[in-house]
Amino acid sequence: MQETPESRVARRSRVLVAVMNNRRDFQIAREQAWYRIPVKNAPSRVGADFLAFYQTKAFGDERWSVNYYAPVRRYLLAYRRALLPEEENHPRADDLYYRIEIGPLIRLPRPIPSLRLRRITFIPTTLERLLQAQEINDLWCGSWEEEQLWRAFKDSELRGERRYPLREDDPEYAVDFAFFCKNGKVALCLESEPDVENVRMVCERAEVPDYDLAAQGWVPLRLRRQDIKSSVQACVARILEAMDKHGGLMATTTARAQVE
Amino acid sequence: MRLGFPVKILGQGGLKSHDSRRWQNDPHLSVSLAYLRDIFLYLGRQDIHMYRMSADLAPYISHPDLPQFHGQIEDCRRELLQLGAMARELDLRLSFHLPLVSVLNATDEGIALQSARQASAHAHILDGMDLGPDAVVVGHVGGIYGDRQDALARFVQRYQGLAPQVRRRLVLENDDRRFSVSDILWIHERTGIPLVFDQLHFQNHNREGLSTAEALAICLRTWPEGVRPKIHLSSPRTAIRIVQRKGGSEPLLRAPHPHQHADFIDPFQFAAFIKDVEGAELPEFDVMLEAKAKDLAVLHLREQMGRLIPAIRVE
Repeated sequence: MQETPESRVARRSRVLVAVMNNRRDFQIAREQAWYRIPVKNAPSRVGADFLAFYQTKAFGDERWSVNYYAPVRRYLLAYRRALLPEEENHPRADDLYYRIEIGPLIRLPRPIPSLRLRRITFIPTTLERLLQAQEINDLWCGSWEEEQLWRAFKDSELRGERRYPLREDDPEYAVDFAFFCKNGKVALCLESEPDVENVRMVCERAEVPDYDLAAQGWVPLRLRRQDIKSSVQACVARILEAMDKHGGLMATTTARAQVE
Repeated sequence: MRLGFPVKILGQGGLKSHDSRRWQNDPHLSVSLAYLRDIFLYLGRQDIHMYRMSADLAPYISHPDLPQFHGQIEDCRRELLQLGAMARELDLRLSFHLPLVSVLNATDEGIALQSARQASAHAHILDGMDLGPDAVVVGHVGGIYGDRQDALARFVQRYQGLAPQVRRRLVLENDDRRFSVSDILWIHERTGIPLVFDQLHFQNHNREGLSTAEALAICLRTWPEGVRPKIHLSSPRTAIRIVQRKGGSEPLLRAPHPHQHADFIDPFQFAAFIKDVEGAELPEFDVMLEAKAKDLAVLHLREQMGRLIPAIRVE
């Protein structure tokens, strides 16, 4: 299919999916056209052409999904007390924030739900993915192998979670795919390799050791790049086998009920 | 010795070098600075301490027909200072390279003025980041316009017309077809402008038959006391080029030109270069690698150097 100028822009435009966890901040985004991120806890990727918002449980029918995005106009550094003068006694009043000024909120053609109602921090993605995503896990931009696997999981209706964090304070410390089974949890980790095989240092994702996974009740399963290249279907079969041992995949509705 | 690379990040997907939106979509320097902050974090994680920022960092900053973009550097005072502090903390040497359309010695006054504005914007950004004197704006002499000596003299005249804060940042590089190391030395002797030795340009254009060590020494000694000089180094492309043609015609195969950059740096060439200049009692210098694989080329060369010449500490 030939690329149009619009699709090229969508592919190249960067989007930062941020969390919107209260109605006041949403009102600020809609009416005053800005969003804030504390500099101290900002993710490793802050720069973006667009911001999108993952709305949490505070948002009634729109909860647990991404419904809106907006173009980024500019970034400003400001102290919290200047951003929210009515909260001048807030413990973080003297902290520095990115005030990200945005254009009008645009409603997505369809909401992007989190099927497991998972906790999200920030997801860097592209406008192309944002406009095409059917659920939150479609937003992550992975390596060629990771994308191949994700597509195969979707085709086999294997509902897993991508980049599932293991620590609350460190969203980068995550397993590549998490599968929640009736009698356990399977963590799939792809062997960490860079795109250019013999330039080793660009591989930045933290390795999650087996003992750490086991300590948190996960059943670790590791795949090499070469395994995926040789046969995606064989990899899917291995994962199915691991899940069968743990009672098979838990229904999403059960998982949602547990969270809600 | 620091090893650096220009602009694009290839080691990690999605790290943009600047706000590349068109003017209709209101791009802003502050958005570029947010991207740059993400790049700095990446460079820190990779232990890379030299980086050339995009010439388009401040979009349309000197575009004569788009004055709405001209105040962005002043608008981003706080953001520039914060990013400069981050660069210092990471011991990151930063620079700009004027785009090829910037021709300070142009016979056309409009082009020359526009080029001066571009150089001024870059210098202004480096000042805004409160960076030391080793953060420079690299430029070329420009065109010959039929008379080499006139062209050189015109550069001197235009350089002297620049504001002192721009002259403080501007440095001059030898090129691969027009102005050799001796030509830029002529300019240095009349202006004091520091010279950046470009090794591949030198190999392509060395009218005077200087040795590499001689040419390098000439350039390094033009830098002020206390400011570490930098040079450009690249390997010539040796692979065949496949040129795609429009309309479904078969692609053309072309032999490479010797002035084209290779994807990576030839480690043996680099090692030989370092050994050549080692005994010459030259000031220490940093090396900007101009290779198509960008950061990957730095990381790869660093790894190779650890094997070939472990005594040379590259960072």
